[in-house]
Amino acid sequence: MFIGKASSPGYVIAKTKIIVRQRFTVSPLKIQKDSTASQIEFFRRGVVKAKKEIANLRDLTIKMAGKEESKIFDSHLMILQDPSLIDSVISLIKNDQWNAGYAFHLYMQKLIESFEKSGKVFKNRMQDDLRDIYSRVLLHLSSNDNNFVVQEEIEEAVVLTGFTVGPNMLMQFEKGEILGLALDSGSTTSHVSILARSMQIPAVMGLGNLSESVESGDLLILDGTNGVVIINPDENDINKYKKQIEVFQNQKLELFTMRDLEPITMDGKYIRLNANIEKFEEASDVTSFGATGVGLYRSEFLYFGRDSLPTRSEQAEAYRNVTHQLDPLPVTIRTLDAGGDKMLSSVSMETEDNPFMGWRSIRLCLDRKDIFKEQLKALIEAGDRGNLNIMFPMISGVKEIERSKEIYNDCCAELRLEGIAIPKIRLGAMIEIPSAVMVVEEIAKRVDFLSIGTNDLIQFTLAVDRSNSKISAMYEPHHPAVLRFIKTIVDAAHKAGIPVCVCGEMVSEPLSTLLLMGLGVDEFSMVSWCIMECKKIIRSVNYDEARAISAEALKLSDTDSINDFLRKKYSKKIKGLGISSFITTPAFSTSDRALVRIDDEIQRLGT
Amino acid sequence: MIKCKLKVENTLGIHVRPAGYIANIASAAQSSVELIYSEQRVNAKSILNLMMLVVEPGAEVEFLINGSDEQEVADELTTLFKNKFNEDAA
Repeated sequence: MFIGKASSPGYVIAKTKIIVRQRFTVSPLKIQKDSTASQIEFFRRGVVKAKKEIANLRDLTIKMAGKEESKIFDSHLMILQDPSLIDSVISLIKNDQWNAGYAFHLYMQKLIESFEKSGKVFKNRMQDDLRDIYSRVLLHLSSNDNNFVVQEEIEEAVVLTGFTVGPNMLMQFEKGEILGLALDSGSTTSHVSILARSMQIPAVMGLGNLSESVESGDLLILDGTNGVVIINPDENDINKYKKQIEVFQNQKLELFTMRDLEPITMDGKYIRLNANIEKFEEASDVTSFGATGVGLYRSEFLYFGRDSLPTRSEQAEAYRNVTHQLDPLPVTIRTLDAGGDKMLSSVSMETEDNPFMGWRSIRLCLDRKDIFKEQLKALIEAGDRGNLNIMFPMISGVKEIERSKEIYNDCCAELRLEGIAIPKIRLGAMIEIPSAVMVVEEIAKRVDFLSIGTNDLIQFTLAVDRSNSKISAMYEPHHPAVLRFIKTIVDAAHKAGIPVCVCGEMVSEPLSTLLLMGLGVDEFSMVSWCIMECKKIIRSVNYDEARAISAEALKLSDTDSINDFLRKKYSKKIKGLGISSFITTPAFSTSDRALVRIDDEIQRLGT
Repeated sequence: MIKCKLKVENTLGIHVRPAGYIANIASAAQSSVELIYSEQRVNAKSILNLMMLVVEPGAEVEFLINGSDEQEVADELTTLFKNKFNEDAA
């Protein structure tokens, strides 16, 4: 039995498939002349990182197996500093204009092939070592997860096991091909977890060395609710979990009674509950789960997994698919939020020491006006039903929102010249950087709404990298500093007469939702299948009481006291939702409130 | 300048690890160190050059060593080959 972080709830019993870390696909992409230097630098850094890993392995081997055994790693290091390798790869980048990953791939493939004709034992030995070096370096030369992918046929639906999976890779699978995720690395808030939740598949992250202990084809019980994985379970376990799955499905069915009810508190306060979506195909989920609209459409997924930028008409069509389908419900689309852990292969991005604080999001868009304007124009075209809101991410101060609005106005002017009518579109700023909180009154005066991105706001406020498992316990959504920031934002918005929405992962926890509602947040946006339960809980409370409870919580000075206080105040409300354990665990476990594989359920209800 | 002929006596030939040993000695030398095998002549300071020669077990190779420490280098290489690259432990 393996215990990891419960990252997406639900249960599944299925065969597993291992994602082989060493399998890469590199794209034969030519680079622009002006990015030659950065590609060479990228290559050199990749080699340096690989060498560090090899040196660590060597030291470890000396301890475990002795000095002689470790000598092979000295050879690997020598290969990686051999001028003939370095110079050849650099020449492939400089003269043939291949990207770093592909240049290295070309060189190594040729090298590996050159042993094809030698004797079998010799050949195997050489090629094994070279392939090892190949994959080790290439891991650092593929931009994020862009390039290393199992492109194997999936014959039956499986639970994926492996060291890591990138968001792009996950997106390549068809709905229903993956039943769950069990990964060695990652945490509940890493992008893959979020994606797993939105795909409604159970996931357990941070399992250590699970992938080394399973073989493809092994039967797994994946318990995403409690963060448990059992390899080749016995009959006892299987029966236990079969029952669990049944109970779970009944809970889901019960929640469906909520779908057509209004999200109104007992004393009549209406709280908008919107859905987060990543692909336009998900638009149909929005209404089937009873959402009041879309609060966050992550437009960057249009840009992922491809080597060219999406055209304006392509984008307009994708956005229109959502705005038209959901009309008259409001749809909030976030402009391109790339960078950080979300790299684009169509834009040349250098590796940065600190990508989360680097060239990303609105910063990238304001520098690459060509990309930004194409997107804004597509959005304006897709807003023709009057139900579109555009939101600018990662705003750090007044200047960025002003520049964004200027560019937006330029786009409107240019579209008018094309004879296109400009619909009414509301513009909003995402508040997720502490500096923006401090000047939020100024920002609020310049926009039609504010949206709080809690994932980044918490990470930047507490200076905690949410994907670093060593400190993930310090990632405290209910930290008093975070709550006070949120209060400041809400007050500024209301003073300016505009609504404020929260769209981070935080709101998929009922207790957090109640706390934030009490702080005055007007709208929430969450994974669509969380909406019904959220509705249930909102319908069970008094708004005035919630205001009073949050005001009290705001006076407390540390996270533990806040959590204790909230749990005490809301114990009755959250009973039966199975969330009583969430606050005691540092990582958010979404508990058994999930609606996994709900599409099957809907079908079953329909028949 | 020293020329020395050495026989590859381990069971696997000059694969990655032995090539590393040779390149290591050659790189540390002041002298130039070249290796001649089946009509190819390469700089022995590059591990990749050595690997590309595909020197299989039982083969005989020739080193050309030229420089101030040529004798030491020749001795070191001779010992290395004699010990079968420390691989086939007796």
